[in-house]
This record gives sequence, C-alpha cells and structure tokens, in this order.
Amino acid sequence: MADPLMSLRDLRVEFDTRHGRVTALSGISLDVMPGETLGIVGESGCGKSITALAMMGLVPNPPGHVTGGQILFQGEDITRAKPRRLRRLRGREIAMIFQEPMTSLNPVFTVGDQIAEAILLHQDVSRAQAEKQVVDLLATVGIPEPARRAKAYPHELSGGMRQRVMIAMAISCRPKLLIADEPTTALDVTVQAQIFDLMRDIQREFGVAIVLITHDMGAIAEMTDRVAVMYAGRIIEQGTSDQILDNPLHPYTRGLIGCIPVLGREAGDAASLPPLAEIPGIVPPLHLLGDGCAFAERCALADDYCRAVRPPLEEKGHPVACHHAGQGVPA
Amino acid sequence: MAAPDPIVPQTGSKQPGAAPPPATPGRSNEASSPMREAWGQFLKNRPAVFGLALLAVIVGLVLYGHFIFDADPYDIVWMPLTPPGEEEGIWLGTDFLGRDMFTGLMKGGAPTLAVGLSAALITVVIGITMGSLAGFFGGWLDDLLMRLTEFFQVLPALLFAMVLVTLFSPSLWTIAFAIGIVSWPQTARLTRAEFLRIRELEYVTAARSIGAGNGRIIWRVILPNALPPLIVSATLTIGVAILFEAGLSFLGLGDPNTMSWGLMIGQNRNYLLDAWWPVTLPGLAIFLTVFAVSLVGDGLNDAFNPKLRSR
Amino acid sequence: MNDAPLMSVRGLTVDFPLGRGGLFGKPQMLRAVRGVDFDLAPGRTLGLVGESGSGKTTTAMAAIRLAPASGGQVMFDGADLMALTPGQMRQHRRHLQVIFQDPYSSLNPRDRVGAIVREPLDLMDVGDPAGRAVRVEELFTLVGLRRDQMALFPHQFSGGQRQRISIARALATNPRLIVCDEPVSALDVAIQAQILNLLRRLQGEFGLSYLFISHDLGVVQFICDDIAVMYLGEIVEMADRPTLFSRPRHPYTAVLLEAAPSLARRKSQGYRRQGIVKGDPPSPLNLPPGCAFASRCPQAQDRCRAEKPALRDTGAGKVACHFPL
Ligand SMILES: Nc1ncnc2c1ncn2[C@@H]1O[C@H](COP(=O)(O)OP(=O)(O)OP(=O)(O)O)[C@@H](O)[C@H]1O
Ligand SMILES: Nc1ncnc2c1ncn2[C@@H]1O[C@H](COP(=O)(O)OP(=O)(O)O)[C@@H](O)[C@H]1O
Ligand code: SF4
Ligand code: SF4
Ligand SMILES: [Mg+2]
Ligand SMILES: [Mg+2]
Repeated sequence: MADPLMSLRDLRVEFDTRHGRVTALSGISLDVMPGETLGIVGESGCGKSITALAMMGLVPNPPGHVTGGQILFQGEDITRAKPRRLRRLRGREIAMIFQEPMTSLNPVFTVGDQIAEAILLHQDVSRAQAEKQVVDLLATVGIPEPARRAKAYPHELSGGMRQRVMIAMAISCRPKLLIADEPTTALDVTVQAQIFDLMRDIQREFGVAIVLITHDMGAIAEMTDRVAVMYAGRIIEQGTSDQILDNPLHPYTRGLIGCIPVLGREAGDAASLPPLAEIPGIVPPLHLLGDGCAFAERCALADDYCRAVRPPLEEKGHPVACHHAGQGVPA
Repeated sequence: MAAPDPIVPQTGSKQPGAAPPPATPGRSNEASSPMREAWGQFLKNRPAVFGLALLAVIVGLVLYGHFIFDADPYDIVWMPLTPPGEEEGIWLGTDFLGRDMFTGLMKGGAPTLAVGLSAALITVVIGITMGSLAGFFGGWLDDLLMRLTEFFQVLPALLFAMVLVTLFSPSLWTIAFAIGIVSWPQTARLTRAEFLRIRELEYVTAARSIGAGNGRIIWRVILPNALPPLIVSATLTIGVAILFEAGLSFLGLGDPNTMSWGLMIGQNRNYLLDAWWPVTLPGLAIFLTVFAVSLVGDGLNDAFNPKLRSR
Repeated sequence: MNDAPLMSVRGLTVDFPLGRGGLFGKPQMLRAVRGVDFDLAPGRTLGLVGESGSGKTTTAMAAIRLAPASGGQVMFDGADLMALTPGQMRQHRRHLQVIFQDPYSSLNPRDRVGAIVREPLDLMDVGDPAGRAVRVEELFTLVGLRRDQMALFPHQFSGGQRQRISIARALATNPRLIVCDEPVSALDVAIQAQILNLLRRLQGEFGLSYLFISHDLGVVQFICDDIAVMYLGEIVEMADRPTLFSRPRHPYTAVLLEAAPSLARRKSQGYRRQGIVKGDPPSPLNLPPGCAFASRCPQAQDRCRAEKPALRDTGAGKVACHFPL
C-alpha cells in the first residue's frame, strides 16, 4: 500500500471554555491515501470541523490547543512546522472549502481578484498570467462566461456559483489534498449534485485526495471510498463506504443510517411509511462526558458495563468502538 | 463554527409517544419573578452596583443634603475665589463672588438632575414613538417621519435651543424641553434601525401567526428586543442633557435664578485661569453623575437580557 | 381526496416591490408567486417542494395572510380569507398555525418558553387562566419536553427542543391546519427524525392537515400525501405521493428525484448521475416568454421557448409541460 498523504496519529485537541478545559478531539487516528475520498460523518459538534482545521494546522488558538499526537502530511509533522512552512503548505498542498460560500469570500473584491490573489501568493507568475489562469480555472469549475464572471462580486453570484468559485480558488495551486467541510449543506439538491459532479471530475483530472465532511449518508454513498464515523470527539467506526453502509456495527452508525428518510422504492407505495428510526436525545456537551461510552445515554443496547468502561476502537470486521458491536437490530 | 450549545442533555423518548424523559440534573429551573431575576443579575454586575451606589450618594446629597447643611447658595460667605480647605467651614472654597462652592454644589444638583432626566425622558418618548412607527409601518409614514427627523437633526442644536430659551423664559423647563426637542432624532433613528432589523425576524411573523395585533407586536415583541441599544443611548442622553444645560449656562443662557452645576460653570468660566475649583468641581460632579448613570444603564441592559443571564 | 377541501387556493399571486424607482418613479415589482392553485384535504399533508427562491414560503405565507397577496382567492373552512377584516382574520388564526424553519429566530428571545406556548391561548381567549396553565403543561408533555423547562428561555434549548416548543405553540389552539415551513432543515439528521416522527404522530392523534414546505424529497416522501412541485413561483406538477415518485411527468420533477440523495448510489459501483440539470434558474425579474424551465430542461424544444405550458390534468395528477415524460 502506498504511504498515506495525511495521517492523524492519536490527535488530541482541547478548548478553554466557560466550563473549563474540554477535550474536543480525544485521540483521533486516521489516514488519507493519495487520490482517495475519505468521508467524515457525525452530528454537529462531534468534532468534524476541528479535525478538518487540524489537518490545515488551523486549530483556532486561543481557545484551542493541540495537546497531543501528530498531524503528518507526507510524513512531516505539521504540529512542529514553522509558521512560514505552514503557510506554504496551506493553499499550495492542502486546500479547504467551507460550508457557507458567502461568508468565506471577501465581499469587497471581485471573485477574479480573490482567485488571482491566491495564485500570486503561491506561484511565481505575473499578474497578467494569474488573471489568465483565473479565467481558465473558472471555466474548469463550470462557470459560464468565465471572463465576465471573474469581474463579479460575490453577492452577484448564486450560492452554487460561489461554491464553484471557492473550488476554483482551492484547486488553483493543484493541491494534493482538498478538505471540503459540508460544501453543499447550504445549497439546493440540484446544485449539490452539480458540485459533487465537479468534485469528482476534479479528482479524476488532478488526482487530488478529498476529505469530505458531511452529515448526509447519501453523499457518503455516492462520493467516498472510505468513511470515519465520529461521535463526541472520537472515531467510533471506520471502514470502506460499503462496509459502513451495508454492515454498520455501531449502534450510532445504524441510527444515523436508519433515521434519514432517503428516497426508496417505498415512495411509490400507497401505504404510508413506517416511522423513522430515532436516535433519542442529543450529543452530550463535551464538559459532561464521563468515563464510559459517550453514546450510552442514547443507546438502546447500553448496560452498566458500557456506562463504566469506554469501548476502544477494535477490529471486528472493521474497526468499531462498541462493547456490543453488531448486536441488536441491524439498520 | 459556533456549534449549537445544547445545554440540556436530554434523554429523549426511545419510542415515539413514550413518556417524557425524566428530569436531568445540571440546570436549575427555578421560576422566580422576572423582576427579581433581573435584580439578581444586576447585583452580579460589579460596575453597575458601583454606579448605583455612586448615583445613590449623589442623589441623596443633592436631595437631602440641605437638611444637614442648610444655607443659601447665593449668600456671600467669604472672600471671592478662596481655594478649598483654606478657610475653616468652607471646605470647597468660594466662587468669583465669594459664594460657598459646597452649598452651590448641594443646591445646584437637584435642578441639574431634573433637567437631565426630563430632557432624556422627552427625548426617549418622542424618539421611540417616531422611530418605532417609522420602522414598523414603513411606507409613506416612514418617509414623512424620517423627513421630519432629518429636519430636526440638521437644525443647529445649540442655536435652536438658544432661540427657544430666549423666546420663552430661560426657566429650567424651557431648557429641558429645548434639549429634548433637539436630541430626539438620534434616538428615533436608532429605534427605527432596530425595528427594521427585528421586524424581519421570524419570531415577529410567529407572533402575527398566533393572532397578535400591531400594538402588541410593537410593544411586547419588538420593543423589548430593541431595548439594549436604546437603554444605552438613553443613559447617554441624560449625560448629554446635563452637559447641554451646562453649555447653555456657559453661554449665559441658563436660568440665573436657579442654581445649577451648569450655571456654576458658566458664571465662573472667566476666572478659570485664576482659580480652577469653581469650574472644575461642578464639572467633576457632572462627570461623576454621567459616569454613574451610564454604569447603571449598562447593568440594566445586561440584567434584562436573558441570554446573559444564568451564565 | 374525496373530502371537501379544508383549504382551497385559486390564482394566488404575490408581488414584492423592489426598492423605489426614485422619488416619483413607479416601484419595480418582483412577482414571486404567479397564479398558484391548490386544494388541501382535511387530515392530509400537501407538500410544497422546489429549489430555494421558487416561492414555497411566499405561497404558504400569502395563503394564510402572513404575506400580502396581490391577487387570488383563499377559501378556508368556508371562509374567504382574503375578504376578512384584520380583526376577523385574527380570530381565524386559531385554526391556522405555523412552524418556522429557523428554530433559532422564530422564538422571541425575551420570553420564557412557557409564556411562548401560552401566548396564543391568551390572545385567542381560549378557556380560563387556570385551564390555560394546565393546557400548556399538557402541550409540553405532548411534544416531549419536561414541565420544569417552562420557565427557561429559548436560548437554553437545543435546536430540536426549540422546534418542539414551536410545535407546542402551534398546537395550543387546536388548529385544523399547520403550515410547516421547512421545520427540520435546520436540524441534524438524528434530530430531524425525532421531529418528523413527532409531526406524524400528532397528525394522526389530532387529525391535523399540514401544508409542508421542504426541499428534501426524502422528507417529503416520508410525510406528505400529496405533493406540488414549484419552479419560479408556479406549480409545475402536482400529484399524490405514489404517483409523483413512481412516475414523475415533469422534467423538473425527474431532475429533482435524480438529484436527491440515496444510499443505493455507490461510488464503489461506479455510480455517475445521469441527467443533472445545468445552471441556475433564470432571474424572476426577467422571465423567458415560454416555459420557465426551458433554459435548463433536457427535453426543451422550440415550442417550449415560445409558448407557456398550462397546468393540465393528466388523469393521475397535473403537469405544466408540453412534452411530459
Ligand atoms: N420580503 C421580500 N421582498 C422581496 N422579495 C422577496 C421577499 N420575500 C421573498 N422574496 C422573493 O420571492 C421569491 C420567493 O421567495 P420564497 O422565500 O417564497 O422562496 P422559497 O421557495 O421559500 O425558498 P427557500 O427554499 O430559500 O426558503 C424569491 O425570489 C425571493 O427573493
Ligand atoms: N472556538 C471554539 N471554542 C470552544 N469550543 C469549540 C470551538 N470550536 C469548536 N468547539 C467545540 O468542539 C467540538 C467540535 O466542534 P466541530 O468540529 O465544529 O463540530 P462539527 O464540525 O462536527 O459540527 C464542539 O463541541 C464545539 O463546541
Ligand atoms: S458501548 Fe454500549 S453504550 Fe456504547 S454504543 Fe456500544 S452498546 Fe451502546
Ligand atoms: S415545456 Fe418544454 S421546456 Fe418546459 S418542462 Fe416541458 S419539455 Fe421542458
Ligand atoms: Mg462543522
Ligand atoms: Mg422558504
């Protein structure tokens, strides 16, 4: 197997909050292989975004601190990298696109200027060359009339176009890793389909590895090769997308899959559909996490052992962190 | 990245239709009266409590001080411009006519505060009325009221107040009225902006959807949410009004028959180079009052904001 | 659908003024809803689906007079809503309630949640004060909240819990119709399932009718009996759920179905989406003369660009397309 492009090794991130110091990521380990798409799923607050920011060396500090573990990009530990080296990596080797394309673009500059800026920052080209690249990039991401659109301001574009601009900016320096934090959550399904298509094309064309953060199991199915399921700052199940979707072992993963009303054949039946599977309650706040399994409060299989002893991530067909993995009703 | 802050970890029902979850510990649900809660919150705010104490001392002194030190502030007690502490019994010195500064400060306080308060009251009442009507109803009413507001805003405030005060007698009430008339446009604009913003929020539509009428929406829904900046601006207005009164007196337009801090500053201003205290002491009194009022205003604002509570 | 409709909307049109055309200029108008007709049967759920900006919210809000309509008729339970005086309309609101999309902005942050749920009862003078207090407690239990949470403020609740509060408020006056404007799209998937199950259970318990707005076809399939697909302020297809999902007739409906997430489409099996729709909808200010969907429609022909298709009966539903699938 090839060497991983990005590896997190037992990463710990803590935050100072009004409840004292809380652990947002407690020992995350995962690998991203060159050219693959890794999905990270979980409810909000599980630590998906912090994981993504950590990969960029961008954990907000204060109030955040990386208190343990390594973040290896092509073998180089970026927790130890100098700020100058980090800036070089970001944008050039690792790029990121965000959930809200409106707030991640600067409203007072044209989108062309902003992409050109990104190019000039990392490449030794003239302004004119950069501007030409901008038009090419906008064409690559499927924006009609790219030369004219380059002169548009962010508010003059629709949400889908703005996300395309963000992607154009992200791929401007041919990064090896593209991190997409819920890139389509704010978009319509039709536009989401367009953006996913674009991301697939770009992966094929440039061979970039993608980390796709989402809470949508449908997106996982159609976009990713492998998946890590996160809960309360830990990875609780990991495997290929087919393993996770067809044979989920963790009660939380099963719940996540069972609770989405995805389109199925039943839609065509006259009888009304059975109630959705429910994961009761909400993600516990980090400062109230105890010693046992963080999911115990919401888990139908929880017993005293679960509440007392935290299940480690163990190989049970694929890695899963549950004392009763695979038991109970399958999803 | 502000993840929602779910404070109440709820063990939801496992089956739809099951009994509600048992009470979870971690949050007290005491249902005391809103006033009492706000007061409790206010007491936690140290600067505000300090401001309230300072204000209480000032108000106590100017209202009840004369029971202890009764004297006529117009009496000439000693040599003009006697520095503070030089003469037994004349702790704060005398002014340019030899009147006792301490008595002046005592007696001049009440009219000063009265002018400040009533001017702020006039400002707030006119400003909030105009601003909320304009912001809430919009359309031609908004146009009309905003033109009116602009008219009053471009009036040179001091000049207008001078005209009013010269036309009518320079009594404290005229002065308060003049100050109120020239300073409401700012409050009106602020109110209007807040109303325009809040009017679009979903809870206003929600209120309408359960059958609330315009009056209720203005008073019970939008205004309470618009209050924080208005409270701050009202406390500032008290300060501005006090200073404005001082300015009018400084220009010789004060009410010469009522001792006030502004009048003291105005009458003593020509001797500033010879003696600092006849001007500085009333100035300090004004400053402390404005400072105390704004601390209290801040505290009130926080106390009535439920989001800042229970932290 | 053989019952007499509870709500019947005909020719509903909504215009929004766009800024002012100078001091004396005539304000330019944006027509957000363009002649919408639908019927909503008692005890059923009508879904309004469509892309962002297609006019779903505006249609629903205008139908219950929370947005000003510039034309059309709305009959609700025998009353012509558009003809009511504001006072009469307020009385009717007891039967017509709303659950909003954003659980963070739809509750007044300065009120306790107990008071929020109680407010409609006070406004509508339902029962005596003691009875109202009991009713509020009942409602809290009904939506899965605890009574001791009544004294808290909205910000002390999570998104899902706030949506439960909105639901309790909407149920307070025993309405007949509840407009649900994307009630779950701001929520996490796991919480979404809780709220959807709750809404369905309440419908069964109280015989409620829902006008349910959503852009998520999965959610629509789960909760709706009939579905109207909107595109640029018009209904382009309307049918009951089995018909619409098993045999979409309008190309836009087909595109929406194709774009909807599904677990069956696997990257590992080399899935590639077939007909994805290109581009964005045209600006509502500058609509083409023919079919509004023509610029993005894979089936478009010359006739589509010249002549506007009317909404016609197909036997199983209605569709506005010259060349239905
Ligand atoms: N207050 C308003 N003033 C002007 N235009 C408006 C206003 N409200 C809505 N519109 C316009 O009316 C059209 C329909 O809006 P509406 O909010 O009904 O869409 P929607 O289908 O509910 O979309 P979403 O899925 O984003 O909620 C849009 O073009 C929108 O820009
Ligand atoms: N700046 C911050 N300060 C304090 N806590 C934070 C901060 N950013 C994130 N967190 C906490 O870290 C946890 C993970 O957050 P995040 O990665 O954003 O979640 P997700 O992306 O899965 O929704 C959450 O509990 C969140 O409250
Ligand atoms: S360890 Fe126990 S509580 Fe945790 S997920 Fe597994 S069964 Fe549930
Ligand atoms: S009328 Fe023509 S353009 Fe419009 S949807 Fe039908 S086929 Fe497409
Ligand atoms: Mg996130
Ligand atoms: Mg809407």
